[in-house]
Amino acid sequence: MHVSALLVGLVLFLLLGFLWFGAWPFLRQDGIASLFASQWYPFEGLFGMAPALLGSLWVVLLALFLALPLALAGAVFNLELMPSRWQGFLRLGMQVLAGIPSVVYGLMGLWLLLPLLESQLELLTGRSLLAAGLLLALMILPTLMVMSEEALHGVRAEQKESAINLGLDWNQRLWRVLLPQAWPGIRSACLLALGRALGETVAVMLVVGSMDRLPQPWYNLLQPAQTLTSRIGREIGEAGMGSLHWSALMASGLLLAMLALLLASLAQLMGREKR
Amino acid sequence: MNTQINIESRQRTQAASSSLQVRGLSLRLDGRVVLRDVTLQLPATGITTLIGPSGAGKTSLLRCLNGLLEHWQGEVRIAGKDTRQWPGGWDALRRHVGLLGQKPCVFPLSIRANVVFGIQGFWRRRRAAARVEHYLRQAALWDEVAERLQQPAQRLSIGQQQRLCLARALAVKPRMLLLDEPTASLDPTSKHLIERSIGRLANELPVLWVTHDLEQARRLGGQVVFMCEGRIIEQGASEAFFRRPQRLESREFINWQVCDCGGPS
Ligand SMILES: Nc1ncnc2c1ncn2[C@@H]1O[C@H](COP(=O)(O)OP(=O)(O)OP(=O)(O)O)[C@@H](O)[C@H]1O
Ligand SMILES: [Mg+2]
Repeated sequence: MHVSALLVGLVLFLLLGFLWFGAWPFLRQDGIASLFASQWYPFEGLFGMAPALLGSLWVVLLALFLALPLALAGAVFNLELMPSRWQGFLRLGMQVLAGIPSVVYGLMGLWLLLPLLESQLELLTGRSLLAAGLLLALMILPTLMVMSEEALHGVRAEQKESAINLGLDWNQRLWRVLLPQAWPGIRSACLLALGRALGETVAVMLVVGSMDRLPQPWYNLLQPAQTLTSRIGREIGEAGMGSLHWSALMASGLLLAMLALLLASLAQLMGREKR
Repeated sequence: MNTQINIESRQRTQAASSSLQVRGLSLRLDGRVVLRDVTLQLPATGITTLIGPSGAGKTSLLRCLNGLLEHWQGEVRIAGKDTRQWPGGWDALRRHVGLLGQKPCVFPLSIRANVVFGIQGFWRRRRAAARVEHYLRQAALWDEVAERLQQPAQRLSIGQQQRLCLARALAVKPRMLLLDEPTASLDPTSKHLIERSIGRLANELPVLWVTHDLEQARRLGGQVVFMCEGRIIEQGASEAFFRRPQRLESREFINWQVCDCGGPS
C-alpha cells in the first residue's frame, strides 16, 4: 500500500519533472504570458498557447455537453425501460464501442463526419472544433453511459419505493430521486470523460484542422482550429530536439498533464466528500 | 321482495360509507399463491389491525391495495371507485392512499425538504413550507426538530426518522393510511407517540395497520383482521377477538403466535 503510493508519487514526480525540464528553455523565455498570446509561428519564434488551449477546452466541453444528455438518456432507458433480459446487450455494445481504437474513430470522422458537415453546413472544410467535439462526444459516450448506469443502479430500491409510495410519477421520480442521488457518480463519470477527451490525440488531429487561430468570434466552432494534443501530435516530429519549438511543445504537454491532474484530483476530492 | 330491496340498499349504503372494499383478491408471485380470495371491508374511519404469522401475505395485501403489485385478480374499491380505473392512474391513487413501511427511509435532504417531498409541483412545495409545522406536529415530531429543520434528515434517530416518514406521508393529504409494521423497530417512546398520533388521525381517516405486536393490536382497538397463508381467517371487533377468538387458528395464534392452517394447498 505505502510502497505503491510511493511508487505512484515517484512516477508522477518524474513525469512532471521531465516535462518541466523539457519545457524550461521556453518557460524561461516566455513564461506565463504565452498562455494569453494568440500567435503560434514557430519559425518566427512566436509561441502563443491561447488558441490551442482554448481549442482544447472548447472541444472537451462541447463533447461533454453533447454526450452527457445522450448518455443519461441511454442509461435511464436501459435501466428503467428495457426488459431486464435485454439490458446486457446495450451495455455490451457500449463496452465494445469503448474498446475501439481511437484512430478508427478518427478515420470514421474523416470519411463520414467531415463530408457530412461540409455538405450540411456548406463549409469549405468540415475540419473544425465542431467536428472534433462531435467525434469526441461519440468516443466518450460509451464510458459515460456505462458509468452513469452504474451510478443510477446504485440508488437504493427503498428510496425509489418511498417515492412511489408518495405518489410521484415516473418523471418526478427520475428528476427528484434517481438523478440527484446518482449525481456524485455521474459527476465522476463526467470528470473521467473530460480527462479522456482532453488527452485524445489521433482522432482529434484528423478532424480539427490544425490551424493555430483563435475562433473568430470566440464562439465560432465552424472554423479549423487546434488543440494542445493535436499540435503536439502534428509538430513534435518536425521540431528539432532541444530547439525552442520543441521546448514549447513540451510546455504544451506540461499544460495538458496539469489539466488532467486537476481533473483527476477534482474527481478524487468530490468522491471523498460523498462518503 | 321489499326486504330484499331493503337489504340491497343497506348493503349499498354500507359500501358507499366504507372506504375500502376488497372482493376476491388473489395474487401469485413466482407461481406461488400469496393471497387467495381475500375479501375485506374497512369502515369510513377508525383503525383496523391486520395480524397474522410471518409470510401470511400482509405486506403483499397492502402492496396490492396501493398498486405496488399489479398482477392480482379480484376487485379493490376505494371510496367506491375501482382502483384499476382510478382517475390519474396508480400514482394518483397512491396520493390518496398513504403507505408507511416497516423501515423508515428518508431522502438525503433536509428535514423540511423531506416533509414536503411528496407534494406535487415546485411552487406548491415552496408554499407548503408554512405547513411543515402542522404535519410534524401531527406526526409528534415537531418538538424534537423545530430548531433544526434545515439539518439533514439522516441525522435523526430511527424512531424520529419513522415519524418524519409519517409526516411526509401526511403532507400528501392521503384519505386513507396503510401502515406496515410502522413501529416494529422503534423504541417505546416513538412507538407510543406514533400510536397516539395515528389514533388521533383515525378519527378522520380509515387506517389499516399491520402489526406483529398483539399487545399493540389490543391497545389500538377498533377492528382486527387475522390472516394466515394468504387467507383471511377471522375478523371482528378487537375486544371480542382477543377475548374469545372464534377459530382454532386464531386462538392458537394469539396464545402461542403459531399458526397451522393446513399448509399450502
Ligand atoms: N417479490 C416476491 N416474489 C416472490 N414471492 C414473494 C415476493 N414477495 C413476497 N413473496 C412471498 O409471499 C408471501 C407473503 O409475503 P409477505 O411479505 O406479504 O408476508 P407478511 O405477512 O408481510 O410477512 P411478515 O409478517 O414477515 O412481514 C411469502 O411467502 C413471501 O415469500
Ligand atoms: Mg410484511
